[in-house]
Amino acid sequence: MTVIDWIDQRLDLSEVRHFVAEKGVPVHTQKVWYYLGGMTLFLFGVQVCTGILLLLYYRPSSGEAYESVQFIVTQIPFGWLIRNVHSWSANLLIGLAFAHFFSVFFLKSYRKPRELTWVSGMLLLFLMLGFGFSGYLLPWNELAFFATKVGTGIAGVVPVIGHFMLRLLRGGDDVTGATLSRFYGIHVAILPAIATALVALHLLLVQRQGMSVPIAVEKKAANGGTVPQMPFFPNYILRDVLAWYIVIAVLAALAAFYPWELGKKADPFAVVPPGIRPEWYFLATFHTLKLIPSHVLMFEGERLGVLAFGVAAVFLVLVPFLDRRASRGEPSRAFTVIATLALVYLVTFTIIGHYAK
Amino acid sequence: MGSTGTERCTRGTRRARTASFVHNRFCGLCGFCVLSVLSLLGWPAVAHAQPASIPNSCVACHSTLPDERLATPAKLFSGQDVHRDKGFECVDCHGGNPTNADKIRAHDVAGKESAMAFRGKPSGRAVIATCARCHSDAELMRTFAPKQRVDQATEYATSVHGRQLAAGDMKVATCASCHGAHGIRMVNDAKSPVFPTNVAGTCATCHADAQRMAGYKLPDGSDLPTHQFADYQKSVHYAALTKGNDLSAPTCNDCHGNHGAAPPGVGAIANVCGTCHTVFAQKFALSVHQPIFDKGCVECHSNHAVLKPSDAMLAASAPGVCQPCHSGEDKTDKGAAAAASMRAEMERLKAGIDRSGALLLRVKNAGIEVSDQQLALREASSRLTLARTEMHRFDPTTVTPILADGMTMVGSVDEAGRKGVAELRFRRRGLAASLGAILVFVVALGLKVRQIDRRDHERQPQPSAHV
Repeated sequence: MTVIDWIDQRLDLSEVRHFVAEKGVPVHTQKVWYYLGGMTLFLFGVQVCTGILLLLYYRPSSGEAYESVQFIVTQIPFGWLIRNVHSWSANLLIGLAFAHFFSVFFLKSYRKPRELTWVSGMLLLFLMLGFGFSGYLLPWNELAFFATKVGTGIAGVVPVIGHFMLRLLRGGDDVTGATLSRFYGIHVAILPAIATALVALHLLLVQRQGMSVPIAVEKKAANGGTVPQMPFFPNYILRDVLAWYIVIAVLAALAAFYPWELGKKADPFAVVPPGIRPEWYFLATFHTLKLIPSHVLMFEGERLGVLAFGVAAVFLVLVPFLDRRASRGEPSRAFTVIATLALVYLVTFTIIGHYAK
Repeated sequence: MGSTGTERCTRGTRRARTASFVHNRFCGLCGFCVLSVLSLLGWPAVAHAQPASIPNSCVACHSTLPDERLATPAKLFSGQDVHRDKGFECVDCHGGNPTNADKIRAHDVAGKESAMAFRGKPSGRAVIATCARCHSDAELMRTFAPKQRVDQATEYATSVHGRQLAAGDMKVATCASCHGAHGIRMVNDAKSPVFPTNVAGTCATCHADAQRMAGYKLPDGSDLPTHQFADYQKSVHYAALTKGNDLSAPTCNDCHGNHGAAPPGVGAIANVCGTCHTVFAQKFALSVHQPIFDKGCVECHSNHAVLKPSDAMLAASAPGVCQPCHSGEDKTDKGAAAAASMRAEMERLKAGIDRSGALLLRVKNAGIEVSDQQLALREASSRLTLARTEMHRFDPTTVTPILADGMTMVGSVDEAGRKGVAELRFRRRGLAASLGAILVFVVALGLKVRQIDRRDHERQPQPSAHV
């Protein structure tokens, strides 16, 4: 008697067996984009595992944070590898999450009946950005300290609730040890709890509704054609594992050849070093805010910019409900143009922001 | 009457008291006391406290004169001037009657002792006396600048300038030569001619002028040179002051004194340099050279053109500075041998620090944390600095232990650097092995996927889509 049989006798796995045996994945020319979600999920798992390991030694106080990370990378066996993988994995995760977002946007996979899958995915994308922002400060180094000062300062210009948000994020009027404790709590408790629930919901919806197929393929199927299917297990899952292994190889190479520098310990009294900028995934936003004049008509420029980004975020969350043509299964050029413009804007401004002085 | 005025003044406001005090002391005129009394009653026109409200014909007339020689002082004084800001007027230095618009009466020289008597442009000793009337009066100065010294005139009398002036030389610098006469600014005003960054230029106005300096002699009888400013501009002190914005870096007055300006005497040079370079002076005081070097520090470092010191100076052959007295060729010259020995050990430590630094940088760039080792290397560098200081004692037995200590530190850093390189190799090999294993697994997985696909393909028909 195998372990599976032993469990089966007690829990009755027939439904699971049936689900696994029956589940198929559509096969078409765009099927390559399906792997992005799985790779992102895999990196989320890597983040959780490496994050837990780092937690064992990390100390969230302004007096010990930097030293504890230094201890991890110098004294703990393979601590350098864990920290580098955690840092690189975070960046790859956000990169893949953006790629996944754009693939779904372009393929209109958000259309009925997958509106909630899109909404949960968008919220997860924002959460990942939150993970990145809160985690950046934790080593308590100079760049992170001043970047957090700038970042939380931007939150402070949000109309009406800005000052409240600034104080809420910083735990006071300035970035101090209280901010570090707060970001630590957000990074290791609050965000993971919400993310776990949302990932579970996102996966449940994906499994429940199956993979979306492009509108053209769907039309073909509706006109009497068929969409070839590939069994989820083992055909698709083995391909997914293959992609994960490639991600592991990339991660290991990055960790070994491009180690994540620890930099100098943060000194709140030091002069702001030149070239302070946020992580690459915030560069487009940061650079846009820099370019907005101090006053646009009667409004404060930066405040207007932050408001515009807020409106854009809400718009993106509501895309499935706004794109009526896609929900009817018709081609939706307007939203393809919006997705293209968003992609061009993000790439261009990220590059410009990277090279801007 | 004057004393009555003074007594009344003491009950008034501070400004009014000050104005009244100045008038009583220097004018002794009842009219001014009346003004002081009026000030107590709220009269706004106390001459020195509120200059704008009293008719001042000096500035009114002089600023409109076509002769620049007469107009410029009025214009400068009515611009930014520390004395004008404190409530002083032309009359306080030049005398005359500013309340009288009539040219003849305003410039009436009758009654030389009276403050109303026009004294004209003070020159020579009169300048010192004019300034000293207030600046040497501790009681008065306390009411304007309580922290300011009041011994400038006394000091000046001891200076070469003061002594020359007493001897009848009217070309020498007096107060106005350096501070200006009109439009005088506070010493801490960056535009003041005696602000640290401007002092050398101010001194050079005379001391770099060969024509003006002609005839002046040094104590040894040689002509007074005029290249001091040019030399100073080459110095490390000038660079620190003007390029490094270090206002504590020395300029002319820091070594020569300001009001009591004079060349430091032989034997006093080490003390002068030692006011800033304390430890060097202490070490030098213990050295074998101390009783021999007439000019102290200047023997090796020069005076105005103090260049950035380097280890190359410690040699009995060019470009070393020991060579005029010691010879590297002479094997029996103990001084040359001592210099060579200290220099060789310093070079060894420097080379060690450079080598270890390069090793650490390589390891650091590869992602291995080496801050502790970098700190240790900085400590070794500070040993080198310490040895360079100790070297001024010119005794190898005190320098060698410091350098040996530095070499021990470099040795431990080297060891850590080598371990870092080994760790780096281990990481790269580990990565290569992992990537190899992953590659094998990926290939195997790819083959398995193809096998499964082929098997499924043979089991056609495939299930149709649920869209």
